[in-house]
Amino acid sequence: MHIPENYLSPSTCAVTTVAMVPVWASAVRHVRDEVPREKIPLIGIAAAFSFLAMMFNIPLPGGTTGHAVCGTLIAILFGPWSAVLAISIALAIQAVFFGDGGILSFGANCLNMAFVLPFVGYAIYRAIAGDKPDLKRELIAAGIGSYIGLNVAALLCAFEFGIQPLLFHDAQGAALYCPYPLSVSIPAMMLGHLTVAGLAEAGFTVGILAFVRSAAPSFGIETRAASTNSLVPVLGLILVLVAACPLGLIATGDAWGEWATEDLAQMVGYTPQGLANGWEWNSFMPDYSVGSLPEWLGYVVSAVIGVALLVIIFRLAANAAKPTVNFEA
Amino acid sequence: MDNTREDIPSWLKTPEHYRPGTDRDGFVSRSLLSLSAALAQFRLDGGRQSRCSPTAATKLLFAVGCVLLVSLSRNYLFVLIMLAGVLVRACLLPREALAHVMAGATTAASFTFLVMLPAILLGQAQSPVTLATKAFVSTGLVLSVALTTPTHKLTRALRRFGMPGVAILTADLALRSIVSLGQTASEILTALQLRSVGRNHNKQASMGGVGGVTLLKASRAAQDTYDAMRCRGFDGSYELGGADPLTWIDACWGLLFAALVAAFFYLQGLV
Repeated sequence: MHIPENYLSPSTCAVTTVAMVPVWASAVRHVRDEVPREKIPLIGIAAAFSFLAMMFNIPLPGGTTGHAVCGTLIAILFGPWSAVLAISIALAIQAVFFGDGGILSFGANCLNMAFVLPFVGYAIYRAIAGDKPDLKRELIAAGIGSYIGLNVAALLCAFEFGIQPLLFHDAQGAALYCPYPLSVSIPAMMLGHLTVAGLAEAGFTVGILAFVRSAAPSFGIETRAASTNSLVPVLGLILVLVAACPLGLIATGDAWGEWATEDLAQMVGYTPQGLANGWEWNSFMPDYSVGSLPEWLGYVVSAVIGVALLVIIFRLAANAAKPTVNFEA
Repeated sequence: MDNTREDIPSWLKTPEHYRPGTDRDGFVSRSLLSLSAALAQFRLDGGRQSRCSPTAATKLLFAVGCVLLVSLSRNYLFVLIMLAGVLVRACLLPREALAHVMAGATTAASFTFLVMLPAILLGQAQSPVTLATKAFVSTGLVLSVALTTPTHKLTRALRRFGMPGVAILTADLALRSIVSLGQTASEILTALQLRSVGRNHNKQASMGGVGGVTLLKASRAAQDTYDAMRCRGFDGSYELGGADPLTWIDACWGLLFAALVAAFFYLQGLV
């Protein structure tokens, strides 16, 4: 679901980025006002779950791959506005360091995965779970919310891909950017997400939520301040996910809409002009790998760097936040 | 009453509307005060060791060895492995130390990147990124060691590696003086700012005075410290006393370093 560079027209990228600016501003304001200072670093750990979940590629019908995002999970634990910030920063790290998702299309990726996904998933979760759910009802609500949230985000992503050939083509009718119209992009994206990726998102969300609720109940915004010891199981789970992330390499093939320019040219018989002449960012570790070195090693190093960066960013953000003192306690 | 009123001089009867001309004190308030603030950043806190910290000597050797390996590495993956290690270590630092390490390392990396930017024009697009990453890793490593080791233990470790006593004394006094000198400079500049009423175009002329007073105070403080040390029987040599016993934590760090050396040579051979 990471839209690469030049698959969307610059105007589409600009519109989605401009649409995200007030969302980011609002997210910063909400997190600053609503999340206690000592809880902000925990959002970094939740963002690490999302980062790692996006590294587990799963084979989808049609030879493509997909992945979970865990946006609904972060929204349930820390509120939807925290999820917006957490996933946006995870996406920024992926784009800048690992070339996963474009820099120009960063706004579009954030709109799909950092805004629509957590808000839709969280709204459904709240509607089903109610105010004070028991664990079973909460997990069912989280599973349904995350499944629908991911699929709505995938539908929006397919829509962004699909309108490109309708809006941007040359005199001969050849597409300038993504060449597949809505009639192709929507079935292609939704088939994989409705069948496998959505279930993976629900599985990740329910599994991690069940683990957190039983092993580290203070990991979330609605509970009291977390002690260092209560975080040990959560950090242990992160370590396990980092060690297991090379499993994401088992799924061969590209995600739909994330092909290299040469591969796309082979599939459609020509290279869209926007892709041939477009600007591209040279990331530090393109596709989480370095040269001809073992892929699994590059994957693990990338996971460690990504997780550490997220934790550091949110710990520094907590430094900058005003200390919260509850005088009524 | 009338007589009293006549006794008052006329200049006293007119109301005063003194409005000092707007003065530009950016020179003092921004340039030099920020310099003093930067000096004050050198403040050395006690250095807090974590439970898994090895002895200061092992830590120093490890850090110097890692900086050397990073500098010599021609394989970017090795630099990235070290970057991952530095970032993980930084995650575990206390809040203030984390901010200090990240600020220092990011500044060093940004400066290196800027200096190396012309390399892109010469067709070496990867060089600025590689060198900036190396600068980030090296600075992060050194700052992490400095912030997690008490100063006296670092001094002891330096002496263990045969550094002359005079060099240690000089470095020790210099480092300790930086903080107090930063404060002194800040106080002098604040005094200069308060005394400068009205428009004054000649603030730069006080530069020499500020520097001179700071230097005199530095020299006096260093002399006082040295005299106090002499009074306590310090003869210029640092006695080590008993050796620091090596623990299993040191052994673990030694093994980690051996693994890094092995990874270095393996990855170097692949380039």
